[in-house]
Amino acid sequence: MKEVTSTIRSARFRAEREADWVRLEDLVSKAERGGAQSLSFAEARDLATLYREATTSLSIAREISLDKALLAYLDALAARAYLSVYAPQEPLGGVFARFFTVAAPQAMRRSAGYIALGFLSMGLGVLVGYLLYMDSADWYYVFIPPGLADGRGPDASTSDLRSVIYDASPEGSGLGAFASYLFSHNTRIAIFVFGLGVFACFPAFLLTFYNGLILGAFYALHVERGLGWDLGGWLSVHGVTELSAICVACGGGLQLGLAVLFPGQQSRKDALHRAGKDAVKLALVAALMLLVAAILEGFARQLIQDRTLRYVLGWGVGCLWLAWILFGGRRQV
Amino acid sequence: MKRRQANRLRRKERRAARAKAAATILPPEGVPLNLPVAGAGVRLGAQIADIFITGAFAITLLVMMSVSGVVSANTMVAIGALLFFAIRVPYYVLAELAWNGQTIGKRMMKIKVVSHFGGSLSTHALVLRNLMKEAEVFLPGTLVLTLSHESPIASWLSFAWVTMALLIPLTNPHRMRLGDMMAGTHVVHLPVPILLADVAQSSPPIAATGPKTFVFLPHQLDHYGRFELQTLETFLRSEAAPTNPASHRQRQETLASIIDRIRKKIGYADVVPPSDHQRFLQAFYNAQRAYLEQRQLFGDKRVDKHHRQAPRG
Repeated sequence: MKEVTSTIRSARFRAEREADWVRLEDLVSKAERGGAQSLSFAEARDLATLYREATTSLSIAREISLDKALLAYLDALAARAYLSVYAPQEPLGGVFARFFTVAAPQAMRRSAGYIALGFLSMGLGVLVGYLLYMDSADWYYVFIPPGLADGRGPDASTSDLRSVIYDASPEGSGLGAFASYLFSHNTRIAIFVFGLGVFACFPAFLLTFYNGLILGAFYALHVERGLGWDLGGWLSVHGVTELSAICVACGGGLQLGLAVLFPGQQSRKDALHRAGKDAVKLALVAALMLLVAAILEGFARQLIQDRTLRYVLGWGVGCLWLAWILFGGRRQV
Repeated sequence: MKRRQANRLRRKERRAARAKAAATILPPEGVPLNLPVAGAGVRLGAQIADIFITGAFAITLLVMMSVSGVVSANTMVAIGALLFFAIRVPYYVLAELAWNGQTIGKRMMKIKVVSHFGGSLSTHALVLRNLMKEAEVFLPGTLVLTLSHESPIASWLSFAWVTMALLIPLTNPHRMRLGDMMAGTHVVHLPVPILLADVAQSSPPIAATGPKTFVFLPHQLDHYGRFELQTLETFLRSEAAPTNPASHRQRQETLASIIDRIRKKIGYADVVPPSDHQRFLQAFYNAQRAYLEQRQLFGDKRVDKHHRQAPRG
């Protein structure tokens, strides 16, 4: 290479550092191809050092150089190096373990108030639905879409209702039933409840309340026929988990909605960002609960025909959830 | 008419300024970096590629299951939807975790998720932005596709929701989705670093034969600013290789007219013979750049020939 002694300061500046930049470029492309673990110790150390040098070079070049190509190069190089230096370094296994043992239970405890609001709206719905049905059976048709009732209405005979509750031969395979239950009414409700919470809470609250209304009217119908306890067992198997999941999702949605409504001293975007931290964990917990509920509904409900056993199973699982939330992630003293 | 045009121009300028500001990220080192924000079209392209990949995977599994007789025909749709969902959600999160904010589709489009506030992407942010993608687009979208006349209200609600979620990115300069806002991320184009030779260093080809050097006086260099210098730089770079005689002749003409303009502007009295054109321009570039950089060091940043000062800071 020819030795050029340039009098231009920025050209000398470039000549002195060019080798380092080229080396950084090599290291960055290596790290991008194989991940940071493909670098040796010396390379990883050099990557960090050279990156900091490149950012310094960039800020100097912006002051002293008018070479457009050089500025564009350094900008791109520093940005590329920044992206590979600040890559997430956490192993995937650690992410899962931390979520289940620490992050999720803590988030649930932190948002206990919101979840309680979710349960409150559903509880109010159940109460109103029950009382309205007892007032007049016609309310049943107002609340419950015909697709969901599946022929179970005030017109159905008591034996029909009983046969649905104790039906040992479901149509389709266990897996098919599982899938269709998962994508049934309640999952949709849970997803909407969470997503709609962003719109100032109201839709989330309303939808949960409406879900409660359906449940209340449905329950009242069976109580009227003397099947209250049997329906309780039928619902308990999966309902304890599934309805709780809706309430948890509602809690997450409410959290987001309240951040939009009352951001306090922050901007709404920042408030949403902050509320999202716990809300997303609530959504994940709700999704997990819905999955478990679908397994229970698809398999366990047909296998277990005894009323007491159904209660034990449903509420037992519920207690397990509660124990996880209450005792998980507490620091040992 | 004229006012409307001026208004349009001003709006365009403002938009460009906003886009430029949006492209700046401040890393912990405190040196602002330039990462151009990826537009809605590119992201849609990446998204479609990802949907194809996960969809193909789900369909393959479904076909295998139906061939082996695990599923019956009437539960096929439900299981297919479940499979697609069960593959899609972890795919996005895990791919972006493993490849530092890139899925396969994003790799193809050369775009990347970055932390909006500088620093590294957190697991929380990636999970949140991808879960919100489900809530924003996919699940309501599925509802729109599967629901029929039975529940028109739900269909319209989902449709409105999806439309709104897709329009939100167009309302902010960072093109952030709702999920991006909550997670504190946005999507950028990956910059490509290309190191071009320094124009000031590259010596003109006939330097050895011509002993004469061009000398410019300070008052002659006082006319141009950064914009003109960098335009000249672009021209000198494009000079590298003439392809055919026609373009060669055209370039010579351009060269001659540029030199003519420069000589007139700076008052350079000596005539430059055509054989020295290249050398003259090179020498002028070197002298002008050295002079302007010198002035800049003393706090005199000239943006262009009108001697506008660069904004401070």
